Amino acid sequence: MDEFQEILQDFLIESFELLEQLDQDLVLLETDPEDLELLNRIFRVAHTVKGASSFLNFDVLTHLTHHMEDILNKARHGDLLLTPDVMDVVLESIDLMKELLNTIRDTGADAGVDVSMCVVRLDAKSNGTSVEEIPKEESIEEETEEEELEESLEEEEPDYDNMSDDEVEAEIERLLAQRQVEDQKKRKAKQAAGEAVPQMPQGDEEEPKKEPAPQTNAVVVKPPMPPKRQTEEHSEDAKAAAPVKGNATTVEQTIRVDVKRLDHLMNLIGELVLAKNRLIKINVDVEERYEGEEFLEELNQVVSIVSLVTTDLQIAVMKTRMLPIGKVFNKFPRMIRDLSRELNKKIDLEIFGEETELDKSIVEEIGDPLVHIIRNSCDHGIESITDRIALGKSETGTIILKAYNEGNHIVVQIDDDGKGLDPVMLKNKSLEKGVITEKEADAMTDKEAFALIFRPGFSTAAQVTSVSGRGVGMDVVKTNIEKLNGIIDIDSEVGRGTSIKLKIPLTLAIIQALLVGVQEEYYAIPLASVLETVRISKDEIYTVDNRSVMRLRNDVLSLVHIGDIFEVERIIDAAEHAYVVVLGLAESKLGLIVDSLVGQEEIVIKSLGEYLKGMEGIAGATIRGDGGVTLIVDVAALMQMAKGVKAKPMIESKSAAVSKEKTKASDYNVMIVDDSKTDRTIMRKALEPMGITLTEAVDGQEALNILKQGDTHFDAMLIDIEMPRMDGYTLAGEIKKYNKYKNLPLIAVTSRTSKSDRMRGVESGMVEYITKPYSSDYLASVVQRNIKFKAELA
Amino acid sequence: MSDKLQNIISKQSEQQNRGVVSQLEDAVQLVGFIIGDEEYSVPILNIQEIIKPISWTRVPQTPAYVLGVFNLRGSVIPLIDLRLKFGLQTKKHTDETRFIVMKDGNEVAGFVIDRLTEALRIRKSDIGPAPDTMQDSETMIDGVGKQSDRIITILKVNKLLERDF
Repeated sequence: MDEFQEILQDFLIESFELLEQLDQDLVLLETDPEDLELLNRIFRVAHTVKGASSFLNFDVLTHLTHHMEDILNKARHGDLLLTPDVMDVVLESIDLMKELLNTIRDTGADAGVDVSMCVVRLDAKSNGTSVEEIPKEESIEEETEEEELEESLEEEEPDYDNMSDDEVEAEIERLLAQRQVEDQKKRKAKQAAGEAVPQMPQGDEEEPKKEPAPQTNAVVVKPPMPPKRQTEEHSEDAKAAAPVKGNATTVEQTIRVDVKRLDHLMNLIGELVLAKNRLIKINVDVEERYEGEEFLEELNQVVSIVSLVTTDLQIAVMKTRMLPIGKVFNKFPRMIRDLSRELNKKIDLEIFGEETELDKSIVEEIGDPLVHIIRNSCDHGIESITDRIALGKSETGTIILKAYNEGNHIVVQIDDDGKGLDPVMLKNKSLEKGVITEKEADAMTDKEAFALIFRPGFSTAAQVTSVSGRGVGMDVVKTNIEKLNGIIDIDSEVGRGTSIKLKIPLTLAIIQALLVGVQEEYYAIPLASVLETVRISKDEIYTVDNRSVMRLRNDVLSLVHIGDIFEVERIIDAAEHAYVVVLGLAESKLGLIVDSLVGQEEIVIKSLGEYLKGMEGIAGATIRGDGGVTLIVDVAALMQMAKGVKAKPMIESKSAAVSKEKTKASDYNVMIVDDSKTDRTIMRKALEPMGITLTEAVDGQEALNILKQGDTHFDAMLIDIEMPRMDGYTLAGEIKKYNKYKNLPLIAVTSRTSKSDRMRGVESGMVEYITKPYSSDYLASVVQRNIKFKAELA
Repeated sequence: MSDKLQNIISKQSEQQNRGVVSQLEDAVQLVGFIIGDEEYSVPILNIQEIIKPISWTRVPQTPAYVLGVFNLRGSVIPLIDLRLKFGLQTKKHTDETRFIVMKDGNEVAGFVIDRLTEALRIRKSDIGPAPDTMQDSETMIDGVGKQSDRIITILKVNKLLERDF
């Protein structure tokens, strides 16, 4: 029932769209009756509507459009000139068509509109009878027409309920044939044949011819997609639906939009998401600075509304790009039918969840992998008929294809009840082909062995058939699924069958990412590939075969440090704990050690540009809330790279982190940050007697740059608060962001004396607060205390 | 009054004509800059913009002269240090350091240079080919521009933007 409704809706949408175009075309046609292109288009509309309505058993509509088609066909072939008179009738028929469609929309049936008058006139025109003659002929013609109509209705009303499936099918074949023949008759071709067919007794003669067909096919295709089956179900449904009067069908209002426009819209939303992230960050900063102020409340509200609306907007636009996965599934029934014939097997395909929606770009990408997996299941999975009978299975193998939502993912699952994957056999084959080494084979779990089928160059087929066996197909599956950041999960039991799950993220352009830190760098990992994160102590990391591994519940997880992959200089590595991000992609897993977990953020993927395109391990970049660029990890490439990384001892000597022992006074480095030359000089004068090394910076920005260059290790910094470009508070905040400067003493030297200023100083990480004016001795003593100055060196 | 006006108009048209002439002379407009001790230049039409240094993000697995990427109003653009690329020692950024964002077709990248000199116009006839020793397809030098008191190396932007690792 629902299915019929769906088809009916599609039919109505299509018809109304066509009619709209038709109106314009007809008007144009009147001004230029010779335009063949236009005529053809109009003819096609009538033809399409006729075809569809006959499918759906709207007899009145079919009847009308049939006659329209007739007259247009003549005009098209030049047998009839479209005079305004003729046009009037054609337009009238189109109005009637609209009325009929409206009736269908409202009631679900096409009864109640009298089309006979119009049909008569159409016929009259098409036969070239003049206008004057019509009134005379009308009465006679009308009767005959109506009789014809009744006849045809009677003909098409056999007792469907008592028919078997095959009979129904045969009946449909017969009706279709009849209709085709009728068309032909109208076109004055093969008249003899046209009369022979409709007289055929119902079903009886057709049946023997039709029945062998399913057997030779050796397939019973269950899903509603193949054309034959479709006809049957539709007409059954149509019959069922027809009696239910007043069954109003709502026409969905749709608009066709160029995909480019949607892509552009998506890009704009991407920018908006970035701006939103930025706004949120600023809001947090402002909150910290002006805690308790009244306007914060309002700002908070606005920010949350903006972020809420942005998220909704993003979802809404994403939805416009969604297509049902049925678009891909549609081609499989036919494929299975062909394959089963070719392979001489009996295979049943069951499809579930074809209405599950996916982003357009993903729908396009997922077709190929599915073709390969299903082919594989048919060729290697399902046994031959004799084998199946010998095994005590039903001779028809079943492949189940289903799609469903799971969180932010879509899962496409392909199950077969074939012979299943044998891990031992897979390992032996791989050894034979040199895909793996003996050592690797021994260490493999069953799941890992199943994953071998995705290795390039691997094939279990004894011989290469046209279907499979070249060892390419499943590699394609892996590559494509990885491209989509998807995960492949295989389960199999020998003799029982195989189940392959493809887990694919819903969309590609804007993704959720986990931000991780390593030293001073940040990387974004697509959340779709993150299975979990765990905090471990460094004692839990073992080294096996020169690789770091850890025990995660019952599995052994190989580990790699993100710094080793991305060549990050490890300056400090003193922490006792490490965070492990467990990555899962396609069929493999990997633990990625990072220094810190920053959090989850919505990021927009941007390309690195031509110049840096295809950098190993980097999928792209995104712009963060603070305007900085963060690189996005390409999990697939990272896993590949991880194989080449040798384990490094996790606990490095701490000496590197701790600054060298001071042997003389000038080993102490202190930076003076002040925009006033006088102030800098005063400070220099006060500190010089100690013999320590002094560096000067004129504002926060410069100070930060000097620090970043890392040429000198500073023991303390004297910071003025009011400076151009970057003030002291901001500078302190920036410095404290860096792990390695966490313990660098920052001393504020300022003329701001209020308590709130002091509070802000403390908040931003200053350890001392010296107010101007001050005595040289005082300054010197504060500095000495903070750099733990050893007086004997002076 | 009308005489004055006439004068001005004729002067203006004269100026315009002169402009046309100099354009007809097939001049190339270049932007000159210093890297190390040498002055180089690139055609002005290949320059998208010139900005003061901003922060960038390191990209792993790249040669040292690729400093990383930076955010130019929402676009992620690679940053290349021309000092390192030309085999010089890296130098701290100064007040005069600039990023020149160059483009060639779809390819865009930022280049770190020590200091800008000036925009100049050189007649095509004053541009000589690159020295013989460097005349293979690998050279980044498009030609050498001669001006009264100096010579300026003109760089091939497409070569600069070409990835060579």
